[in-house]
Amino acid sequence: MSTLAVTDEVLVEFARQTVTNSPIAVEGNRTRWDVGGPLANGVQLLKAPTGVVEYQPAEMTVQVRAGTTVAELHKVLAEHGQRTSLPERGGTVGGAVAVGENHLEVLGRGSVRNAVLQVRYVAADGQLVTGGGPVVKNVSGFNLPKLIAGSLGVLGSIVEVVLRTNPIPAASRWLQATGVDPGAVRNAVLAPSAVLWDGDTTWVHLEGHLPDLDAETSVLGDLAGFEEVQGPPALPPHRWLVRPQDVSGFSADRFVASVGVGTIWADKPQPARPQDPAVAAVAQRAKALFDPTGRLNPGRSR
Amino acid sequence: MDLHLNKEELNTCVQCGLCLPHCPTFRVTGDEAMSPRGRIKLMREVQDHDAPLTKEVIRSFETCVQCRGCEPACPSGVPYGHLMEQTRETLAEAGEITPLWQRLAFKPLEQPVALKMGSAALAIAAKAKLVPKRLGLPADLAVRQESLTASGDDLYLFTGCVMDAWQRDVHAAGQRVLEAAGFGVTPTGSLAPCCGALQAHAGLLDTTRDLAQTMMSSLSGDDRPILVDSAGCGAAMKDYGHLLGTPEAQAFSARVFDIQEWLAQHVASLPKVEPLDLVVAVQDPCHLRHVQKVHLATRTVLAPFVRQLVELDDDGLCCGAGGAFSVLEPELAGDIRARKVDAIQRVSPDVVASANPGCSMHLGGAGVATEHPMTLIDRALTT
Amino acid sequence: MNLLGKAKDLLGRASASNDPLVDDLVDALGSDAVKVDAAHRALYAHDASVFDAGFAGPTCYPETTEQVVAIMAVAEKHGRAVVPRGAGTGLAGGAIPLGAPVIVALTKMNQIHDVDTVNRVAWVGPGVVNLDLTNHLRPFGFHFAPDPSSQQVCTIGGNVANNSGGPHCLAYGVTDAHVAAVEVVLIDGSVAMLGGLEDEPDGLDLRGAFVGSEGTLGIATKVAVRITKNPPAVTTLLLSFDSVADAANTVSEVIAAGVVPAAMEVMDQRITVAVENYVGAGYPRDAAAVLLAEVEGLEAGVALDAKKISEIGRANNATQVRVAATDEERALLWKGRKTAFGAIAQIAPDYYLHDTVVPRAKLAAVLEQVYEIADRHDVIVMNVFHAGDGNLHPLLLFDRTVEGTLERVHAAGAEIVRASLDAGGVLSGEHGVGVEKQPYMAEMFTDADLDHQNRLRQSFDPVCRANPGKVLPMGHSCADIQSLRQTPPGVWG
Repeated sequence: MSTLAVTDEVLVEFARQTVTNSPIAVEGNRTRWDVGGPLANGVQLLKAPTGVVEYQPAEMTVQVRAGTTVAELHKVLAEHGQRTSLPERGGTVGGAVAVGENHLEVLGRGSVRNAVLQVRYVAADGQLVTGGGPVVKNVSGFNLPKLIAGSLGVLGSIVEVVLRTNPIPAASRWLQATGVDPGAVRNAVLAPSAVLWDGDTTWVHLEGHLPDLDAETSVLGDLAGFEEVQGPPALPPHRWLVRPQDVSGFSADRFVASVGVGTIWADKPQPARPQDPAVAAVAQRAKALFDPTGRLNPGRSR
Repeated sequence: MDLHLNKEELNTCVQCGLCLPHCPTFRVTGDEAMSPRGRIKLMREVQDHDAPLTKEVIRSFETCVQCRGCEPACPSGVPYGHLMEQTRETLAEAGEITPLWQRLAFKPLEQPVALKMGSAALAIAAKAKLVPKRLGLPADLAVRQESLTASGDDLYLFTGCVMDAWQRDVHAAGQRVLEAAGFGVTPTGSLAPCCGALQAHAGLLDTTRDLAQTMMSSLSGDDRPILVDSAGCGAAMKDYGHLLGTPEAQAFSARVFDIQEWLAQHVASLPKVEPLDLVVAVQDPCHLRHVQKVHLATRTVLAPFVRQLVELDDDGLCCGAGGAFSVLEPELAGDIRARKVDAIQRVSPDVVASANPGCSMHLGGAGVATEHPMTLIDRALTT
Repeated sequence: MNLLGKAKDLLGRASASNDPLVDDLVDALGSDAVKVDAAHRALYAHDASVFDAGFAGPTCYPETTEQVVAIMAVAEKHGRAVVPRGAGTGLAGGAIPLGAPVIVALTKMNQIHDVDTVNRVAWVGPGVVNLDLTNHLRPFGFHFAPDPSSQQVCTIGGNVANNSGGPHCLAYGVTDAHVAAVEVVLIDGSVAMLGGLEDEPDGLDLRGAFVGSEGTLGIATKVAVRITKNPPAVTTLLLSFDSVADAANTVSEVIAAGVVPAAMEVMDQRITVAVENYVGAGYPRDAAAVLLAEVEGLEAGVALDAKKISEIGRANNATQVRVAATDEERALLWKGRKTAFGAIAQIAPDYYLHDTVVPRAKLAAVLEQVYEIADRHDVIVMNVFHAGDGNLHPLLLFDRTVEGTLERVHAAGAEIVRASLDAGGVLSGEHGVGVEKQPYMAEMFTDADLDHQNRLRQSFDPVCRANPGKVLPMGHSCADIQSLRQTPPGVWG
C-alpha cells in the first residue's frame, strides 16, 4: 500500500498547502479564467507545481506537472518529433486539462479528454488521488481521468497528468478557397485535421506524408481554386459548441466554424442551454461527494 | 439423466459464445436457451449434474433447427450436430420428444407409394385452398408428374421421398443437365426410397439406420457415384459413415456427391449457351454450406447460365425451413424466414436459387420466387 | 396478443412464480419477456469467463427504453439489484449475476436507428452486434472502429460497458473515443442523455465516466457511436522472427520512429501453430513469433509506412517479411488472428485468457517472465497480444476436470498480473475488472484512489443496486457483497 502512495515531494508539499481553512483555487496563466463563471470572493489562489517528470518517446506518453505551460511541454516533445492534443494558447497543462477545450485541429490531434491517461489531483480533504494509469490502454477501474478532465477543478485540484503523445506529421499545409461547399470539402479528403468556414471562405488543414498531401491537394483542386496560405484565419472571441449539422445554418455577422466538429467562434456569446435534469442530478451528486464543503474553485460550475 | 453424449465432445465447448450470431433461433429470440452455447450448457447440466428435464429444457432442444450454422463458426470444433442428434435420440427413446403423431407422420416417407398418393391428395387440397397457409406449401404442387427413366450407368441420381413426390421436375432437370455433360444417369427411384434425414432430426436414429442399410444394400452392386440434388439428403447420406460406423458405410458415404459439387468438376463439359436474362440470388441451404461445405460449387455451376449472380449479406444464416422444423415450429420458422426475406429483398433478385427442396418450399410460402439451380441450368440449355 | 397467448399468459402467471417480483415484471413486460425457470437461471448465471459464482434472478428481455425504466421501477420496489447483459462474451465476469439480481438482457434492443453521415454518428440499440453495425455501414463508406476479436458476436452495449478495444484500436482509440452520446436509464429510473453530438458537450464528462463502467452506473439503452471513414488504402504485413524479443523490439521501434500503424499484433509459436492447424492462415510454423502489422490511409503514405516497418523488422532480425498481395490473403491473415483464442481448444478443453498492459519497452522482459511463471506452475501458456499498445493476452490452457489444475492456473495468473504491475503496467487493457481483477485493484490503487472511484460510482448509483459486487474490491462500498455470493439452498444453480 505504501509503495503505491505518491512519493513526489513536490506534489506532497503542494497537497499540504491546500489544507487550509479557506476555499482554494488553482491559478494557471488565466487564459480561460472566466470559463464557468467568476471566482467567489475570499478564495486562496495556489499555483500548481511545474516540470516534466518523465518522458518516454517510445511509449508515446509523458508525465508532466500541471503548472508546466503547454508551450514548454511541446518544446520538450518536439525534440523527439512528438506533440499532444492540448491547445497551445499560452496556458498551462493543468489549465488546459481542467477546461478541456480542444485544439483547433481536433480532427487530427484528438480531444484533450482522450489524451489524459492518468491524473493526479488533490482532493478536497488534502489527499493525493491517482486515477487511470500510465499506459496507453487501460480499463482498470472507474475512469476518474474522464470525470476530472474538463471539470474546472471543482472536484479536485489537478497537480499532474500522464498524457498520450502523438508523432508530429512529416508535412502539413493550410489551403483556402472561396465559394465552395465546406461539407463537400470535408468529405472529399480522408482525414483533414481541420476544415474551417466563415460563410464564404473555406480553410483546410492537411497533415501527413508529403505525397499524400499533394494527392489530397489535387483532389481539392478539382472542387475549387484552393491556394496555400500561412495558417487559419483570426478567430472571433466567443466560442459556441453546436452539433456539426448546425454549422451550415449558423448566422452571425462574423464567425468561423469548424466543419465536422461543430465548434464556432462568433462575435456574440452562445446563449445558455437547458440542462437535462437527470444529468444535472448526477453532476450535483458528484460535486457533493467529491467536495462536500464546496471549497474547490467556488463560483465556477460545469 | 444420461443423454449418452460423448464426454469429450461435450467438453470441447469453452462457452465463448462465437456461435450465437450464427444461430437462427438466437437471432430472433435473443435468448441463451435458444442458442448453441445454451443448449450445450443444458446438455451438460442434464448429463453431468442430473438437472431435471423441465419443459424449458426440452423446449430448448426441440427448437434447434439443426442447421449447424454454429459448427463452422465454432473455433473449438464442437461437433454440435452430432451432440444434438444424440440428445434427441435419447429423448425420443425416453418418450420426451417426438410424440406418436409425429412418428406416424414420418412413416409414409419410407413408403413411396403411400407418400405419392398422399401428396396428390395434398396437391389437390392445396389447389382448393384447404391447406393451412402456415404450412408454407407451394401453391403449385404437381398432381401428376412425368416418370424418370435411366439413360445410362455412369451415375446414380438419388430421387428420395418428399422431393420425388413434390419436385420431380428438379430431378428431371438435373438428369438432363448431367446428360448434357455427357453422363448416363440411373435415377434411384424405388431402389432407395428415403435417406432418413428427417427422422434423424427428430431423434429417430434407429429408423435412419434401417433406411441407410436398405439404401446401401440396393446401391452396392458397383462403386458408381451417387448424386443428390437435395442438400439435406446429401448431408445425411454423407454422414452414414459416422452414423453406422462401419467401413462399408464409410465407403458408401465417399460415393455421395451433391449434384452441384459434381458438376462443378465437369462444368467445362456443359455446352456454351446464351445465359438466362436473370439476376439470381444464391441462397445456400445450411446442409450444403455448413455441413457439406460445398456451397461454392453452386456458383461455379450456375454462373455461366444466368446474367448475374448476387450474394446475400446474411453470412449464410438459416432460412428456418429445417426439414420438418417449419411445420413443427411455424412461429419461430416464420420469424427466421422474415430475416432471410429481408436479406433477399436487399439485393432484389429476379429469382432465388436454392438447392434444397425444404428451403425453396419454405421461402415460396413467403412469396419468394425460388428455383433449383438445376432447373435454371436446364432452362438455359433447352431454350 | 392472440387468445392462445393470453391463456398461456394467465396460466403461466398463476402457476409460475409465487414471487411478487416476477409477477410485477410480468405485469410490466408480458410473460414472454420474463424468464425465471431453472434452465434460464442456469444459463444466465454465466458469461464467457471461468467464474462460477453467479446466481441469476429473473431474466428480462426489454425492447424499449420505457421497458427498461419499468424494470428499474420494479427492481427498486423489491430492493433487487439489476445486471445488464449483452451477448455474454465478457472474460472478466462482468455480467455474472451476484445475489439473484434481475438480469436485463439487451439482445432484443438491436435496432440500428439512424446512420447520420453529417454528424458522423450512428444511433444504435445496445443489442446491435458490433460486426453487424460495420456491415451495415459499408454502403455508406464508414465503419465502427473498435473491433474486438469477438466482434462477430459482441454487442455495442457490451463494448460501451467494457470500453472494448481490438487490434485496430492502436491508431483509432478504444470504444471511449467512438461514443458521442449514451442514453442511460439510471438506477432510479430516470433517463439521462450523457454526452452529445457537440465536440465538448456541456458539463462534466459523464459519458466518459460511463463508458467502461461495466454496468455499474446504469443501463445504456441507445448509443450514438462515431463512425469512421473507410480508408482507401490498406496494407497488411506479416513479419517472422526467431525470438519473441525481436518481435517486441520491432514494435517498440516502429512506434518510436513516429509510425502509428492501424494494428500491430504478435503471436508466439505455440499459438501460431494452433491457428495454422485450425484455419490454415499461411503463418510460418517455424517462427518463434510473428508480427501482423497493418497500415491504413492514403496510398503513398501507406506505402512509406509499410516500407519503414519492413526496414525496422529486418534491422531486428526478421527472418521473413511478407506483404499480403490480395484482399483474400489479407482477410485470411486476420482470420487467423481473430480465431486464435478458439483455435487453442484443440489443445486443451479450457482456457483462461489474461489481459494486462505493460509499457511497450518492457514487453520482451515481461513475456520472458510469463513463460517462466507458467512453467513453474506447470501450465501451458500461449501468447497472442496487441503489441502496439503493450496489451498482453497470455492464454493459460488447462483441463478443469484434472484436480488441482484450476488452482495452479489461478496462481500463475496472479503472478502474471503482479509481474505486469511491477513493470509499470495496469490490470486490464480491455476486458475490464469484473470479478476477475477485483482482488488486484488494491495492488494498483491506494485506499484514497479507490474511495474516489467509489464516489464516482455513487454519483450515478447511490444505492449500489446496479451490478453490485463488481470492479471495486471488498472493503469498499457497493462491494461488500458477502451475501451476494450465497446461493439459496435447494435451488438448481
